[in-house]
Amino acid sequence: MRAVIDIVAASLMITGGTVALLAALGLLKFETAYARFHAAGKASPVAFLIAALGAALSLGPAGAGQLAVAAGAMILTLPVGVHLLFRAVHRTTSTQLLIDELAPAEAAAADAAADAKAAAEQAAD
Amino acid sequence: MTHDLALDIAIGLFIAAGLVGTYRLLRGPALADRIIAMDVTLISFMGAIAVHAAKVDSTQNLIILVVLAIIGFTATVSAARFLQHEHAKPTS
Repeated sequence: MRAVIDIVAASLMITGGTVALLAALGLLKFETAYARFHAAGKASPVAFLIAALGAALSLGPAGAGQLAVAAGAMILTLPVGVHLLFRAVHRTTSTQLLIDELAPAEAAAADAAADAKAAAEQAAD
Repeated sequence: MTHDLALDIAIGLFIAAGLVGTYRLLRGPALADRIIAMDVTLISFMGAIAVHAAKVDSTQNLIILVVLAIIGFTATVSAARFLQHEHAKPTS
């Protein structure tokens, strides 16, 4: 039984390492910032998740708790961080995209904010 | 014996990923590329720490992973905010 668990854990950890290497290669090979975020922001937390699963199998309950906290924190926070990065890049560069659904939404939001400001000034007068 | 070798291979894969990420971190070209490269490097070395903990069968270092996961998020968010304020006008 122990041997089977060890084999499964080791193969999970090697899979995680392979996925991490693929994420890093995507970071290396892709040309634009968006493509790099796509490769790195999705694959690398999955790589850590797979490796943490393998390590948790190998370590037992004592390690599994801490690994679950670390993996949970990463899964919850990393998409938020990468999303913020995407938005910051979208706002600061003028790269032409084939499909850009954020630009009209942001323009509409800016218009609405300007309207609200004008209405507030009128109300103050 | 074979088990240790498998874990060594896994650690090597994670370290290779971290080194590739470090190359992109040093090379750039834009600040955003460096930020995401920093993230990938950090996560790769976190994976290496997890596999190493399994290899030596000790839970002592696992608290480092919890701390790094939270600090990594803080670093990404603050760097993204900095990027947004630093280049407020379309430049590149």
